[in-house]
Amino acid sequence: MPPLTEHIVLRDLDVPNIGDQEVYIQNGGYEALRIALKEKTPADVMTMVKDAGLRGRGGAGFPAGVKWGFLPKGVYPRYLLCNCDESEPGTFNNHQIVDRNPHQLIEGIILAAYAIECHTAFIYVRGEFAHAARTLQRAVDQAYEKGFLGKDILGSGFELDIIVHRGAGAYICGEETALMESLEGKIGQPRLKPPFPAVAGLYGKPTIINNVETLTNVPMIVRKGVEWYRTFGTERSPGTKVFSLSGHVNRPGNYEVPFGTPLRELIEADYYGGGMRNGNQVKIVVPGGASAAWLTAAQLDVTMDYEALAAAGTMLGSGGVIVLDETVSAVEVAYKMDEFFKHESCGKCTPCREGTHFLVKVLHRLNHGGGRQGDIPILHDVYNQMAGNCFCLLGESAVVPIRSALKLFPHEFEEAIARATAGANGANGKHAIALVTH
Amino acid sequence: MPDVTLIIDGQTVTVPAGTNIVDAARSTEVSIPVFCYHPKLRPVGMCRMCLVEVWTPRIDPATRQPVLGEDGKPVLALMMGKLQPGCVPPVSDGMVVKTVTDKVQFAQKGQLEFLLSSHPLDCPVCDKGGECPLQNLTMQFGPSTSRFDYADKVHFEKPIALGDTIYLDRERCILCSRCVRFQDDIAGDPVLGFDNRGRAWEIISKSDPPFDSKFSGNTTDICPVGALTSADFRFKSRVWEVRSVPTICTHCPVGCNLTFDMRHNQLMRVMPRENDYVNEIWNCDKGRFGMRFAESGDRLTTPLIRRNGKLVEASWEEALQLVGERLAELRDDAGSQALAGLAAPDLSNEDLFLFGKLLHDTLGSPNLDHRVGVAGEAAIDDLPAAYGVGQGTNLLELGKGTAVLVFGADPEEEAPLYLLRLRGILARGGDVTVVNPYATKLEHAATRSLRVRPGAEQALALALLKVVIDEALDTTFAERLRDTDQLRRILGEYTLAQLAEAAGVAEEQIQAGARAFAQAEHGIIIYGRHALAGGNDLSNTLANLALLCGKVGRANSGLIALTSGGNTRGAIDMGVRPRGGLSAAEYWPAASAGTLRGMYIAGLDPARQSAAAAAALGNLEFLVVQDIFLTATAELAHVVLPTATLFERDGTFTNAERRVQRSRQARPASAGQPAPWEIFQRVAQAIPVAVPAGNSNGSDRAAGWGYVVASDVADEISRKVAGYSSAGYTSLGVTRQSWGRQANDDVYYDGTSYINTEGVGVQISSRADDPKASFSLSRVAYPGAAAGEGIALLPVVRAYDGGDWARGSKLQPRMVPAHVVLSHADAARIGIGVGETVRIETVAGSASLPAQIDTGLAEGVALLPLVAGIAAGDLLTGAVTAARIERAE
Ligand SMILES: Cc1cc2nc3c(=O)[nH]c(=O)nc-3n(C[C@H](O)[C@H](O)[C@H](O)COP(=O)(O)O)c2cc1C
Ligand code: SF4
Ligand code: SF4
Ligand code: SF4
Ligand code: FES
Repeated sequence: MPPLTEHIVLRDLDVPNIGDQEVYIQNGGYEALRIALKEKTPADVMTMVKDAGLRGRGGAGFPAGVKWGFLPKGVYPRYLLCNCDESEPGTFNNHQIVDRNPHQLIEGIILAAYAIECHTAFIYVRGEFAHAARTLQRAVDQAYEKGFLGKDILGSGFELDIIVHRGAGAYICGEETALMESLEGKIGQPRLKPPFPAVAGLYGKPTIINNVETLTNVPMIVRKGVEWYRTFGTERSPGTKVFSLSGHVNRPGNYEVPFGTPLRELIEADYYGGGMRNGNQVKIVVPGGASAAWLTAAQLDVTMDYEALAAAGTMLGSGGVIVLDETVSAVEVAYKMDEFFKHESCGKCTPCREGTHFLVKVLHRLNHGGGRQGDIPILHDVYNQMAGNCFCLLGESAVVPIRSALKLFPHEFEEAIARATAGANGANGKHAIALVTH
Repeated sequence: MPDVTLIIDGQTVTVPAGTNIVDAARSTEVSIPVFCYHPKLRPVGMCRMCLVEVWTPRIDPATRQPVLGEDGKPVLALMMGKLQPGCVPPVSDGMVVKTVTDKVQFAQKGQLEFLLSSHPLDCPVCDKGGECPLQNLTMQFGPSTSRFDYADKVHFEKPIALGDTIYLDRERCILCSRCVRFQDDIAGDPVLGFDNRGRAWEIISKSDPPFDSKFSGNTTDICPVGALTSADFRFKSRVWEVRSVPTICTHCPVGCNLTFDMRHNQLMRVMPRENDYVNEIWNCDKGRFGMRFAESGDRLTTPLIRRNGKLVEASWEEALQLVGERLAELRDDAGSQALAGLAAPDLSNEDLFLFGKLLHDTLGSPNLDHRVGVAGEAAIDDLPAAYGVGQGTNLLELGKGTAVLVFGADPEEEAPLYLLRLRGILARGGDVTVVNPYATKLEHAATRSLRVRPGAEQALALALLKVVIDEALDTTFAERLRDTDQLRRILGEYTLAQLAEAAGVAEEQIQAGARAFAQAEHGIIIYGRHALAGGNDLSNTLANLALLCGKVGRANSGLIALTSGGNTRGAIDMGVRPRGGLSAAEYWPAASAGTLRGMYIAGLDPARQSAAAAAALGNLEFLVVQDIFLTATAELAHVVLPTATLFERDGTFTNAERRVQRSRQARPASAGQPAPWEIFQRVAQAIPVAVPAGNSNGSDRAAGWGYVVASDVADEISRKVAGYSSAGYTSLGVTRQSWGRQANDDVYYDGTSYINTEGVGVQISSRADDPKASFSLSRVAYPGAAAGEGIALLPVVRAYDGGDWARGSKLQPRMVPAHVVLSHADAARIGIGVGETVRIETVAGSASLPAQIDTGLAEGVALLPLVAGIAAGDLLTGAVTAARIERAE
């Protein structure tokens, strides 16, 4: 599949300085808003988004228009939340959007708010994105100045305020209900569902939450139409996706590609990843952020869309594609990833709080020459004691790296134990064995 | 709610809709282990201990009907494709729950392994050991060994003080949030919270002073591990070594059911004992931690007799002889009218009955009271006996359809458990209107709060009545009423606007409160110290309101008066009140003038509260004081008699809802101090009987004084005191299953209060409960709202008043110091800052006190907390006292 000649989301690659409001407007910016407010009803906009088949880019891939339709009729106020907590390891596409193309996001938020009849929207920005948050705030201020926000937008009578809110640096606050708790000033921990946010979300009011990339697609759908949009991607995964490519590829970075692009192309094509460093072999590909199950070199022909990745036993997730070469130890990768989940566990539920801690303790010793006979069954038991039992998906995600590693590379665990027990017997001395060569 | 039928482990169960799976399972004795879930708290699904398989019928999206299998039965699907926490999802029809599959057992074992991974396993030194759900459930469901490395355990500094009364051991905490939810939702003091996250997540106190709540002790009960322990009980005893004695708290009119856990006759700890009618499974910290006074080293042990101006030890025989003879002498010399008695409203019914018998029947005195006779104290109020909440009242069952009017009361300070009970009614959808001249904690949760101008309470009460009459809100009962004319006449003289203006409350607020009360199915009026100090006119008006709205004479409707002491109701019923004679307030001038010459005071300390009373006491020819400590009043006595405390005696008490409850003796008195009633009997027996002329048989010194045990007195009470015939000891001992305890519950809720095996007591009937009763409205007056000069000084009750009950208590640091509370505006005008001293002058006297400033207080209002160090009698003239407050020079 050839690379895009015109981007839908990363339009900063096509138009220099599109982050500048004037430049954005000169290049069709806020035209969708004008069209929507003048010619379309909120229901029209919702139908367009539904028909375009726009799927949520935050992880679950749920169709945005369908989600908007879950709002109970006649219950106001409603809130719209834009999720810019982007903390999934290997994921950095939202960051580029808010940094370089903030006005398109803002226009998307206004359109979505119009569609769902909401008058207050929040952008929840990851705490570490200080610069991006300032950029966003400036863009919001400019939008107010130009009358795209505030009362009586473009003379239509429609009214919307956008509030940019900075988080304090917790991955769990990207989870939709934890985000709401955090926004309400409480400790950032997920809530029981049901009730679902569309029914009772922020401050107990009906709430729609969407990812930055999801919302950034909306202006292009409204401006260029459903048919145009559907010329990209596959039947069930229409449009494009910005993949954050990282790891041992030659050209890491954000690449916006049509859904359905083969993974191999993403890694190897000159215009994308440009192949592996030093011509090394691919060992592990994590296709959708740390929460996605691992693929191996044998699976590079999978196409990058929701259906194909699910069929391959993993998921498209956040679109963070981490490509690791043969120099890495699967044991260490699992350790590093679960260390992340342990660090980010909110602590609310037992299996995640204690299970991640337990996993990391065992993985730590396996990685530092302290592995023991029996560690493998313990690891299997521990993640099985977590799997399906956690309060939210963070804990479930923590199961993924260790389960993938044990499934795909069991011998590496056995070897680590063998070396350690040999070492303990005196053959290798007492010290930890460096398993990682890069 | 409609019922739902489901299958749990093969058994068909029908439960009300909305029940969660855990509770549905308990109803059929299937045990689903829980940690974070507690039937009294909102479910949170955090600990994941209760995971079960939940299967529901698969629904065809097109027809919305269950899909049927080949066998014609609905096809079942595992809910969400994984295990579900049984504490969260409500049951639904056709649901099939499996609690003992391999998958479930693997999960249960797994969660216990996790919970124990960093647990210190210091059971041998843990106070919770022996009644610990974590221990119990581990034995039942957990792994027998740990695979987690000992060295990998997370450590925290061993216990840290979470407040003055509670310690937190973060290593033992399983982070279930029961304590936080209790504080947030039940107590309404959101002072606990979490800090940090993940394995470093921890409980913290967010308040200053830390853990600032009068209900903190309850968290140690519901904590499912030994993470929260009380400073009062730490390391005192193993729980299986104690003997649990059922008792009743006498610190306030709630009458919480307690147990005193005793070892070798020493108090180890106080625990609440469940009684849905009274305290559910809770109590307040005053009842829990304020019971160390009985062990105080300053207890009086032997009688004292004044010799050469000094109190010296004497034998019981000598002291009793002296008391009997001197009282008889005074009676014979000066007449019975010259004698008077005061007995405390926290003595038992048996004590009070015999006190009345001694003073009134044996000595012939009409002068009895249970108050100390200082301005600003409660009027004697007979209304609850007539119109008190009807028999069968249970606040726990009230919610939607119930309206409560809380008038001139601060439940948190005067009767702490009522705050919890009222919050519960609110949480269940009830309506609560608060009328008070200053802010109270209840008001934050209440449906509406009417801030009445001090002195204009009667205007507001009449305004409520006026709305009911003018809008004819409830007339069903009016036909049964006589004398509505007087009320209509007095109300006809004013417009609602005039009354509202006088009360300082918006008309709409008054209308909303009146309508809510009148239109509710159940209506309760709770009035407290401030209202009672306002005199009988106000309480009569409130009773009229209840009558007009038909809110009397049936369960869950009527009056509740929050009086001081745990047994004011009993004191009034037992006749410890002026019986055609003087009231306590009239004693002091009479004693000073020499018309009162002898007095018997049991358990009260007027000398501490009023210089005038102290002077008058000093003028008496003979003063007997019976107490447990050498009080200021006792120091003035001619004879001091030491008596047993609540711990050392049997007896019954009547609470604010007229529930008679029995308290048991927990240990013998260390120095053999007799129970108060025994002393009264022995005094009576020591009184030489005046032999009637012509009767030669003079040997019977005291006819009718042959009681052997407390129940002998109780028997006589049930024969002689109106309403008490139903309250014999046997009926008091009838128990009732409370909050849905089931077999095997100890495993989950161990350590959470004690099951009530001693009986829930008996609520005696009010006069209105009689279906044939006829009712007449009381005549009420409206003298107009008092517009006093200067600042309106209001006495306010503080639970932590530094009274004798607090001796030896861990609550000592929380005692409220003597001070006065000023409004922000007044403080600014006077030019006074927090903690600076002001001079208060009233027509009764003056005092200098440090000032606190309350920004919520209206200008022109100041509060005088009734605490140790304040002699209310030297400053107050009534419920509202006009005061001049200036900077102290
Ligand atoms: C632990 C966790 C972290 C998450 N972090 C993010 C995030 O940073 N950004 C995001 O858009 N969605 C995140 N999600 C997904 C959100 O809960 C939610 O599904 C999403 O914002 C919905 O937007 P969408 O429908 O546009 O994808 C996270 C979910 C979980 C469980
Ligand atoms: S799985 Fe549990 S502990 Fe982990 S983040 Fe979610 S709620 Fe918190
Ligand atoms: S202190 Fe006790 S009640 Fe509170 S969270 Fe910890 S274990 Fe639960
Ligand atoms: S609420 Fe009253 S009766 Fe209950 S424990 Fe507290 S002081 Fe005692
Ligand atoms: S999750 Fe149900 S009891 Fe804790």
